[in-house]
Amino acid sequence: MKQTEHVSLKGTKEGLVLYLDPGQDFSPLMDELKQHLRKSAGFLQGAKVRCCAGARAFEPKKQAEIEDVLRENGLALTGWFTAEELGWTARSQNEPVARTDTGQQIWDEGMAEGTCVVVDRTMRSGQKVVHSGHVIVQGDVNPGAEIVAGGNIFVMGALRGVAHAGAMGDRQASVSAFVLMPTQLRIADLVTRAPDDNEDWRGPEVARIKNQQLIVESLISGGRRNKAR
Amino acid sequence: MGEVIVVTSGKGGVGKTTTSANLGTGLAAAGHKVVLVDTDIGLRNLDVVLGLENRIVYDIVDVTNGNCRLRQALIKDKRFEQMFLLPAAQTKDKTAVNPEQMKQLAAELKEDFDFAVIDCPAGIEQGFRNAIAGADRAIVVTTPEVSAVRDADRIIGLLEAAELYNPKLIINRIRPRMVKRGDMMDINDILDILAIDLLGVVPEDESIVISTNRGEPAVLDQGSQAGEAYRRITRRIRGEEVPLMNLDIPDGLFDKLKRLVGRR
Repeated sequence: MKQTEHVSLKGTKEGLVLYLDPGQDFSPLMDELKQHLRKSAGFLQGAKVRCCAGARAFEPKKQAEIEDVLRENGLALTGWFTAEELGWTARSQNEPVARTDTGQQIWDEGMAEGTCVVVDRTMRSGQKVVHSGHVIVQGDVNPGAEIVAGGNIFVMGALRGVAHAGAMGDRQASVSAFVLMPTQLRIADLVTRAPDDNEDWRGPEVARIKNQQLIVESLISGGRRNKAR
Repeated sequence: MGEVIVVTSGKGGVGKTTTSANLGTGLAAAGHKVVLVDTDIGLRNLDVVLGLENRIVYDIVDVTNGNCRLRQALIKDKRFEQMFLLPAAQTKDKTAVNPEQMKQLAAELKEDFDFAVIDCPAGIEQGFRNAIAGADRAIVVTTPEVSAVRDADRIIGLLEAAELYNPKLIINRIRPRMVKRGDMMDINDILDILAIDLLGVVPEDESIVISTNRGEPAVLDQGSQAGEAYRRITRRIRGEEVPLMNLDIPDGLFDKLKRLVGRR
């Protein structure tokens, strides 16, 4: 999920929720919100969103201002949440859920959680899946098919179509596939297309952003074919 | 109770009508009672390919609109007593028939015939939805071109969405020489993408052009390579296990020399 310092947008089972940090002043918060929405504009068009600002309730005027910003970016504000209603609070999004058998919590760099859609078939030309969380495909994604995910994308077969991970602006998102040969690959605001040459299979690979560049790496340890695109 | 088979492809010009004509004729030649249905309303061709265009009085729209009885619109083939054509209307368009009517029509045809072969129009709009409405199984025709394979993939997705599962694939107009040179997609490249069962492979063959112009389906021409491919496909539809045609190009003198020198 995309998260800047004080603004974050999260896909939940009740839909999109915009979280605004209660501890932050209003004006910088709005700047952050605008910047954040700009990045993820394409993905969010027409979406409905509910806002949550922890314990703080905004004055009606400020609420209207937030609503205006959302509307300018093609989002409809449908209501306000308290943190308690949602079951998560200020920093709890990053709290660990995985535990060892002794009950000790594990949270490490490189762990992600979130809602997830499993597509249990091959996606053919013309088929499209859009989800605010992660997307897993048990099958191929053929040319002409498209996946747009707020989180990560995993394809257990061959990815030959278009994949957009981190569509709400999350640059930590990744796309991995058993055969990674997408027509076009997008992560957050970066776009790349498949190289015109090399057709031969290199084994399962993952694409992610490193140093502002989309990098494809082998998922098999010792894989040597890391290269920048 | 017969079976309704729709022949479809998405892309135009890949050989749906030729395939429909040859399958129907092949099945009739094998002794089945067959009806061919042209659903390409406004662009009818199947009658021409079968050489029956001068016998059309009523068409499919007349039947669905109740202007005539089904029996009146069916044209008996000139070669086989057991084969009939239900032609498309030429002066109407695809909206003249709806999927519900096609379902009814298909059910009616199943009563009387062993096989009803439906020739589907190109595209994914109403003509396509009409054609697949009453079908029990589907045959997808493609050629070894990226564009045709892409459209076939889309069609397979749409067939699945319409609950027509396990369509079978015919790869048409393959040129073994180009495949060997690496200039054309080979069978496995296509199967990798489409991942459905292969019903047959038909080689590019000039005799198809001749047979189409004459209105004599190639499946009856014992000397035609494409005709042989369609005969095999017909037998597979009837449930026989038939090996794929050998389309390998024999090695030329140069290849043999290269092998002798051990360069291969």
